[in-house]
Amino acid sequence: MLKNLLFKNQDKKQLIIAMVGAFLGITFLITSIHYLIRINDFGKGADILGPNTIIVQKRVSNSSLLKLTRTDFSTSELEKIKLKPFIQDVKPVIANNFNVSFETADPLIPRFRSDVFIQTVDPKFMDVKSTAWKWNEGDQFVPIIMPRDFLVMLNTFMSASGIPQISDNLAMAIKFKFTLSNEKNTQKEWFDTRIIGFTNEIASLLVPENFMSYGNTKFSNGKEQKITQIMISGKEGEFGLVEDLLTKRGLSSKNAQMVVGKLKSIIGTLLMLILGISTIAVFVSGLVLIQYMQLLISRNIYEIKTLIHIGYHPKNILFKFFFYFASIFGLIASLGVAFFFFIKHYIDGILDTGGIHIDKGITPGSLLALLIAYTLFISINYFTAKKNVHKLS
Amino acid sequence: MKITLENIIPYPLATTKYGTGSVWGNFIELNQGQQIILNASSGKGKSTFTTTLMGIRNDYEGSILYDGINIKTFTSTDWSKIRSSKMAAVYQDLQLFPQLTVKENLLLKNRLTDRYTETELIQHVEKLKIDTKWNHQCGKLSMGQQQRVAIIRAIAQPYDWLIMDEPFSHLDLENKTNCMDLIHNNTIEQGAGFILTTLDNNHTHNYDQELKL
Repeated sequence: MLKNLLFKNQDKKQLIIAMVGAFLGITFLITSIHYLIRINDFGKGADILGPNTIIVQKRVSNSSLLKLTRTDFSTSELEKIKLKPFIQDVKPVIANNFNVSFETADPLIPRFRSDVFIQTVDPKFMDVKSTAWKWNEGDQFVPIIMPRDFLVMLNTFMSASGIPQISDNLAMAIKFKFTLSNEKNTQKEWFDTRIIGFTNEIASLLVPENFMSYGNTKFSNGKEQKITQIMISGKEGEFGLVEDLLTKRGLSSKNAQMVVGKLKSIIGTLLMLILGISTIAVFVSGLVLIQYMQLLISRNIYEIKTLIHIGYHPKNILFKFFFYFASIFGLIASLGVAFFFFIKHYIDGILDTGGIHIDKGITPGSLLALLIAYTLFISINYFTAKKNVHKLS
Repeated sequence: MKITLENIIPYPLATTKYGTGSVWGNFIELNQGQQIILNASSGKGKSTFTTTLMGIRNDYEGSILYDGINIKTFTSTDWSKIRSSKMAAVYQDLQLFPQLTVKENLLLKNRLTDRYTETELIQHVEKLKIDTKWNHQCGKLSMGQQQRVAIIRAIAQPYDWLIMDEPFSHLDLENKTNCMDLIHNNTIEQGAGFILTTLDNNHTHNYDQELKL
């Protein structure tokens, strides 16, 4: 009866417009947050290198061949790059300054030996457990990360030798051996090694920093170590700026790394734009709903005052308005979630068809955003209703 | 509940001088169970008196005490308890909900305390001869019919005092008598008192006290 009294004579046109606005805003808010999280996660764990990380070197030109321009990086150059706001971190890729050969050391596998080039990078650029990625003098074996191309080459060799090709897991179980020696080959040392992972992004074998320091100290040829490659980790969604920097400074990177980073950056920027617009839509429609409630209260001044005069508590009346609008927003939020599931089904299908396989689960972040929007709305709704009704008591 | 008026003068009436018999500017005690009439001409402040007593207006000097407690200290929770179980009122403007039916107007008030059943409310409506209007919107009733609805709504709660501001102004003698009987019996039944303001000097009821403005 009280509801009938307070909500009977409404002009629902404004209410319906606000509800439609809030519904669209909420749907796009959840959708954009969900896909923003999923796109940021895209590519994570696909490689041993961390997300948004690229390895760059200076572009080799005719002038560099004539030694008119440098192909190595100075410490000040690294510092300058690091100071850019869109750069998360920069570290040099350290290479070996001694001779290394790599060979199979398993009785079941035919002997395969090759001189190799090894490198080490700061562990924070790598998506690998720190416990597995360490080496100290006296350790049983040296953990290594192998370029996938190297495994392909190994399998070609196996095939040519009439032996079945090996999988990633089997490769990680096979014993290998490093032989470290100095330039004159007068000093040698052997180390058992084991593959702990593979990378598509680096062309050399990766070893822990300690092992590289050990080799460079003990077997160094005495020449100054030049930094010819660096690792750059860019901030999320700002890959375009990283790309500009590379162009400006004449740096180059592996194309695949750039494409993924750039794609993520473009989609991320688009989703951020949608997120911004939908946040504004939710905010504006929330405000329209609140304004509608104020209008409703002002249209019911006589009814509210009279109810209070005949013994109704202002709280009973304010709760009527609060629950009415809380349930309207709740209905909008539920419809928004339902519509999100509906469009998610189609978007996931389109992405799958396009070869972008993302996690199909619901991101807690998108539901949290909805919860925050709802809590914010009902809090403002409550305090506005309280202020307006108490003013009349 | 005892009502004490300690030298109250509404701000809009502060410039006027009042005699010793007036409720304005004097010390007056109203004891529960008394049936009081306040007879005054238009513009003297009858509605100001009733609305001030009901806590709707608080633009006055002096103090009004309910059982020794200054009503200006009451919270909205206190007022909702008082207006639903201690002080009932028939306001001059009636304060009915015109878009609701007689039934809805009465039930809306009655549900606060469940003082009567719907059948008992219908009996009151029959006594005051508006039973044919039970499902009619109040806004479409005559002023006299609306006054009778307001009287029944006022008594649809427990009370110590029933405050009425010109409740019979649109009623003929027969209806006035019926209403007065209902009010008298209901207040006696509850051990309550009432204050009735009127413009009319020709009253037949025996009041315990007469107030002046």
